[in-house]
Amino acid sequence: MPAEFSEIDRQAARWVNQMNLPVQSSETAAAFDRWIMKDPRNAENFALIQAIWQSGGFEEALEEAETAPILHQAPNDNAPLPWFSRNWRKLGGAFAISGLLIALPLLNTTMIERAHFQAPHGENRSVTLADGSSIVLSSSSAIDVKITPWSREVALLEGEAFFDVAHEKLRSFTVDMGKTQVSVLGTAFDINLVNPDTVTIRVFRGLVGVDAGAGRLWRLPAGGGMEISGDRLRSLPKPFGDQPGWIEGWYDASDTPVRQLIEQLNRVSPKPIMLKDPALGDLLVSGRFHTSKPEGVLDALAVTYNLNWRRQGDHYLISR
Amino acid sequence: MLFNMKAQSPDELEDWPNVREAILRYVRTRTGRSDVADDIAQETLLRLITLRETQAIGSYFALGFRIADNLMIDNHRREARQSSDMNEDWECDSPSLDRVLDSKRAVEILSLCLRRMPPLRREVIIRRRLKQESCSAIGDELSMSAKAVEKHITRGLINLRQAFNRAGIEPMGE
Repeated sequence: MPAEFSEIDRQAARWVNQMNLPVQSSETAAAFDRWIMKDPRNAENFALIQAIWQSGGFEEALEEAETAPILHQAPNDNAPLPWFSRNWRKLGGAFAISGLLIALPLLNTTMIERAHFQAPHGENRSVTLADGSSIVLSSSSAIDVKITPWSREVALLEGEAFFDVAHEKLRSFTVDMGKTQVSVLGTAFDINLVNPDTVTIRVFRGLVGVDAGAGRLWRLPAGGGMEISGDRLRSLPKPFGDQPGWIEGWYDASDTPVRQLIEQLNRVSPKPIMLKDPALGDLLVSGRFHTSKPEGVLDALAVTYNLNWRRQGDHYLISR
Repeated sequence: MLFNMKAQSPDELEDWPNVREAILRYVRTRTGRSDVADDIAQETLLRLITLRETQAIGSYFALGFRIADNLMIDNHRREARQSSDMNEDWECDSPSLDRVLDSKRAVEILSLCLRRMPPLRREVIIRRRLKQESCSAIGDELSMSAKAVEKHITRGLINLRQAFNRAGIEPMGE
């Protein structure tokens, strides 16, 4: 793009910002008229940028960008402007806070922290990240973490995790479950990757954006919960307390299929629980179950649906 | 011929052909249609002249463009109503900029560009345009001056404009 054009764009952008402010001084108003008359292209460039600013498409894109995971900056998006260096200094301040300020040329190698965490069977595991965020991993759950100066990315590979995210104005925090992504700035929420197709998300503090792919985006405020299972979606009741029950060994079911409760139990239970008839997995249960005592849960299930359970070799078996 | 603002107060401006020309360019860029632009520019000019009789006008173009914006919306609604009764051949096939900007492709370009922006700039733009927060409120919230907020918006708008250029969407066909 010729230098002259980008200068016209710069002026037009400045005027679009100015003229969308609620109040204009008479000097500004007169200066705007002078600018429009100065060059016939000015009215056109103003029209182009004003059209972008006012468009419904822009509003849609902003809503999307608010919740969608952040992308790495395109190399030619940031031709330096005079104020740019000041801006970087501000960003530098933010890096220093998180203990990440190292010479910028080293950015790609030394400033990216990667880690893998896995909770052993039968135990929760707490992790504190370099940015101060804490994650509690439920038994047998696994995450990959990547922290860069411009992003905080977690991939939930398996199981369930509770995130208490340190608020940062600049870096969003993204959790990727493959088909579904959650992104936030600072909040506390629980994600359960029930199986590769089913994810539940419950928010305890703040606000999260959920992207389930195919343009399906939601904003989930504190007290909200949702379950995404393939194309189906249902909302979950308000969670109890300020952290999920499983951290204390509880599982809160609300019209939850028995199959899901058993998957949950199997993350902690020393012996896996099996169903003699897979159809039993479709029964629905509600209530609070103590997952660290699988036999107690089996008793409760047996009473509710008139079922039997017994220890058989290295597993428990539930039958009619 | 240009306005000579030093010599004349706005009330004495008589450069209506040039005002009309600039409004015409503005509307033509947004609608992509000369016939519509002619009508809207003419109507805008008449309204400006009438308004000038009863009130002081700070910026002729700020007001003129706003009147034109409303006329474009009216016109679009009228045509949408009529086209539902008409044969499809009657519909104009040159896409208007405003319609282009609402297209799926445009939303994609804008969204990608926003997601590639420095997070602070994106945050500023979301607050200003989507949440309608004032520049000073945004500045307070994000610990920067209102001037710095405006610079972020300006820079962001240039990024968005350039994203369209790169994507080969150049609505100015003249």
